[in-house]
Amino acid sequence: MAANPMYQFNVYRIGPEIKLGDVDISFTNASLFMVISTLAILLVFNLGAKKKSLIPDKIQLLAELSYSFVSKMISDTAGTKAKPYFSFIFSLFMFVLFCNMFGMIPYSFTVTSHIIVTFVLAAFIFIGVTIIGFIKHGLGYLKLFVPSGVPMVLLPLIVVIEIISYLSRPISLSVRLFANMMAGHTMMKVFGGFVVSLGVVGGWLPLSFSVALTGLEILVAFLQAYVFAILTCIYLNDALNLHH
Amino acid sequence: MSEDKFKTRLKIAKNKAKIHKDQETAQSGSNMGTAFKMSTELVSAVAVGTIIGFILDNWFGTKPWLILIFFFVGVAAGIMNVVKTAKKMQK
Repeated sequence: MAANPMYQFNVYRIGPEIKLGDVDISFTNASLFMVISTLAILLVFNLGAKKKSLIPDKIQLLAELSYSFVSKMISDTAGTKAKPYFSFIFSLFMFVLFCNMFGMIPYSFTVTSHIIVTFVLAAFIFIGVTIIGFIKHGLGYLKLFVPSGVPMVLLPLIVVIEIISYLSRPISLSVRLFANMMAGHTMMKVFGGFVVSLGVVGGWLPLSFSVALTGLEILVAFLQAYVFAILTCIYLNDALNLHH
Repeated sequence: MSEDKFKTRLKIAKNKAKIHKDQETAQSGSNMGTAFKMSTELVSAVAVGTIIGFILDNWFGTKPWLILIFFFVGVAAGIMNVVKTAKKMQK
C-alpha cells in the first residue's frame, strides 16, 4: 500500500457522499486538512491577540512577528498603496504556510501538492488584481500591454507577447507551489522506501538523506509560502503603481 | 494634563510615520522572490502560448498553423519575462 510514492496524494471521501446536481462536493481528506489549517490559524492568532501584554509570551510573539513580517514584505514590494490589501495577503500567506507545514507531519495530507488547489488560489489573485487594476486606472490599465518606445511595426507582435506574458502569471504562480510541494514529498517517500527495502545493512544512507530532506522540505514549505505571497505583492504593485 | 502630553506625543509620532511613508517607494521585491519567479515564468508563458494557439486553431479550423505561431510567440513571451525580471533585479 505505502510502497507507491504517489499514494500519499490520493484524495478520498470522508463520511457520506454529498452531491450538488452532478458535482461531487463530499468532504474529503483534502477538505479536512484545509479546515484543520484554517482552525489552527484562527486559534494561534486569537490566542496571540488576546493578551496584549508589553512583554509578549511565545504565542503572542509568534503572532506579532508574523504580522510585522508580512507588513514589511508588503511595504517593501508594493509600497504604501498596498496597505489596504494587507488582510488578504496575510491570510493568503498564513493559509499556504499552514497547509505546507501540516503536510510535513507524517501520515498527513499536503493540500498544496494538488494543482487544482494552488490554481484556484492563483486564479483568484489574478482576477482580483486585474479588477483592482481596472478600477484604479480605468482603461488606462491596458497601457500595461503597450510598452513605451516600441516602433509601430513591431507593436502588434509586442502586444500579443505582453498579453501572453500577463496570462502566464496564474500558471507560473500555481505550478511553482504545486511542483515544489509534490516533488519534495515524492522524494521523501522514495527515500523512505529505500530505507525499508535495503534493511538494517544498507538503509542508513537513505535514512540520513531522509533526515536531511525533511529539513530541506521545511525550508521549502516556508519559502514557497513566502514566494507565493511576495509574487502576489509584485502583481499588486503592477496594478497599483502603473509605470511602463 | 497627561492627556495633552499624550496628544502632542501622538502628533509627533504621526508626523514621523508620515515622513517614513513618503520615503518608502515601491521596490522590486527580495532577490529570492525574483529568482524563483524566473524559472517557472519561462515555462508557463510557452504553455499559455501553446494553449491559446490550440484554442484559436479549433475556432478557425486552421489546424497546424496558429499553434505553431503561438508556440513561438509564447517562447518570446517567456524570454521577455526572464529579461524583465533580470532587469528588475539589476536595479
